[in-house]
Amino acid sequence: MNNALVFLSEGASVIDRLQGLGDAKKQLADPDYWSSVGIIALTGILVVFLILIILIFMFWLLGVIFKAVDKAKSANAEGNTKQNVEEVKPAVEVVSAAEEDYSNDEELVAVISAAIAAYTEQSFTVKSIRKHNPRTRSAWSAAGISENTRPF
Amino acid sequence: MEIFTDTLTGLLDTSGLMAMTWQNAVMILLSFVLFYLAIVKQYEPLLMLPIAFGMLLTNLPLTGLYHPELWDPATNPYFAPEYLDSGYVDGSMNTIFMSVFTQHTSLDYGRVLHDGGLLDMLYLGVKLQIYPPLIFLGIGAMTDFGPLIANPKSFLLGAAAQGGIFFTFIGACLLNVTGIADFTLKEAASIAIIGGADGPTAIYLTSKLAPQLLGSIAVAAYSYMALVPVIQPPIMRLLTTKNERAVRMGQLREVSKLEKVVFPIAVTVIVSLIVPSAAPLVGILMFGNLMKESGVCDRLVKTATNELMNIITIFLGITVGATAVAENFLSWKTIFIIVLGLVAFCIGTACGVLLGKLMYLISGKKINPLIGSAGVSAVPMAARVSQKEGQKTDPSNFLLMHAMGPNVAGVIGSAVAAGVLLSILG
Repeated sequence: MNNALVFLSEGASVIDRLQGLGDAKKQLADPDYWSSVGIIALTGILVVFLILIILIFMFWLLGVIFKAVDKAKSANAEGNTKQNVEEVKPAVEVVSAAEEDYSNDEELVAVISAAIAAYTEQSFTVKSIRKHNPRTRSAWSAAGISENTRPF
Repeated sequence: MEIFTDTLTGLLDTSGLMAMTWQNAVMILLSFVLFYLAIVKQYEPLLMLPIAFGMLLTNLPLTGLYHPELWDPATNPYFAPEYLDSGYVDGSMNTIFMSVFTQHTSLDYGRVLHDGGLLDMLYLGVKLQIYPPLIFLGIGAMTDFGPLIANPKSFLLGAAAQGGIFFTFIGACLLNVTGIADFTLKEAASIAIIGGADGPTAIYLTSKLAPQLLGSIAVAAYSYMALVPVIQPPIMRLLTTKNERAVRMGQLREVSKLEKVVFPIAVTVIVSLIVPSAAPLVGILMFGNLMKESGVCDRLVKTATNELMNIITIFLGITVGATAVAENFLSWKTIFIIVLGLVAFCIGTACGVLLGKLMYLISGKKINPLIGSAGVSAVPMAARVSQKEGQKTDPSNFLLMHAMGPNVAGVIGSAVAAGVLLSILG
């Protein structure tokens, strides 16, 4: 380790001396020119790798921790899942009563099924697709209102 | 009548036409070429157009918008031999002056403020390293580091693609041996950083190490960034087999908000502790990202990503263009810079793809080597190239999010590389 440090500091002083020469031709003529060029390139790429590897390790560790936390959470949540499903059902019925049936539009069914599949990653069956049209403001006007009334 | 002709000839004598040299004319024509590239070909027009206009303004004689001599320590009258020998300063003072002079810290900012034109004033922001970090603030506030956090291995690809920088550094020094070029170590490092494929980083490093090359390096860097979709695909295809290109990568895991908030803070601390000279770039980049991910500074994020970024882009572009005065730009060095810049880009791409291949083998064919080329920054163009190439082999393959990881890692990587070069050579 000590040797490496001495080597690096010697390298640094050689590079400083080369820099002091100013002119490119004088630098090239210096006997230490190529070793300094090599040292600069090598330290450069090594330091870049070193820093990014430290970051990899850190975020890999963080990822492991977060995964463990998530698992614990989902284990807790599983007990409540059945209840949740029951809660959701009435809401769907209210929605479906409101508007016309889209279940025959094959393209729409495919798109919505794909979206649900990607989101839940579980097997499921689409029974009906209906437009939900509650009497509220449109997304655009809601966005406008939230934009203008947001506190500073 | 005589008065009239006298006035006319007087006017003609003070007009730019009489002061025009052929070098100026060539530079003006070159700026027209850049206008064409920016407007018709749309090569990074947001920067190319201001750069081209800066180039035009600075090469129109007598406009007085930009004075290269104010930025050259050698022309500072206080360091002229006559002044030093005049007896106003004694011998010891003389050596102090000269030591300051050799360190290139002898710019007389008072003179700039006193005699400078509009572009001189704006150039202060480049010279004092204000603009590139502020651009990084906006970039940080626009970047989603999620794909990188979800797959930290991407950092490796972002690091490998910086290989282009260091190979080109050696290449520029090798050119010296041939005798046709004479690049100092500082100049070689500034040229090599083009391989980082990151405009603000290139400008940041060059303005510190080799300001006389700023114009040509900026033009080369932004041209090649625009040409990424042309330069990269042949290299990517050459280095990979069809099977490798067809690899599908699994869905990225979801990244929590806490991780996204911790990321910028952790990166800033680690990078700044190891390479303090990278802090102005990486630190401000991460500050912008923290503003975004924290979700509590919406108004600041809007300013950083829109108004502030646009203002800085205009200032940066036009002043960098203005540094392209004929005497600096019309030299063999510019040609070499353009060639070496291309070499840097190609080697960077190749290094990324090759490490991608290695990771493909080690991971048991789970990583598509095409995402390696995105490790050169050029966000998000390089990632899109990976996506496109992947789809050419398998139209239902989506690599974009996987390529964004190495892509944003490349931004951090090239900023770190610039920091290292700066701390060794600065």
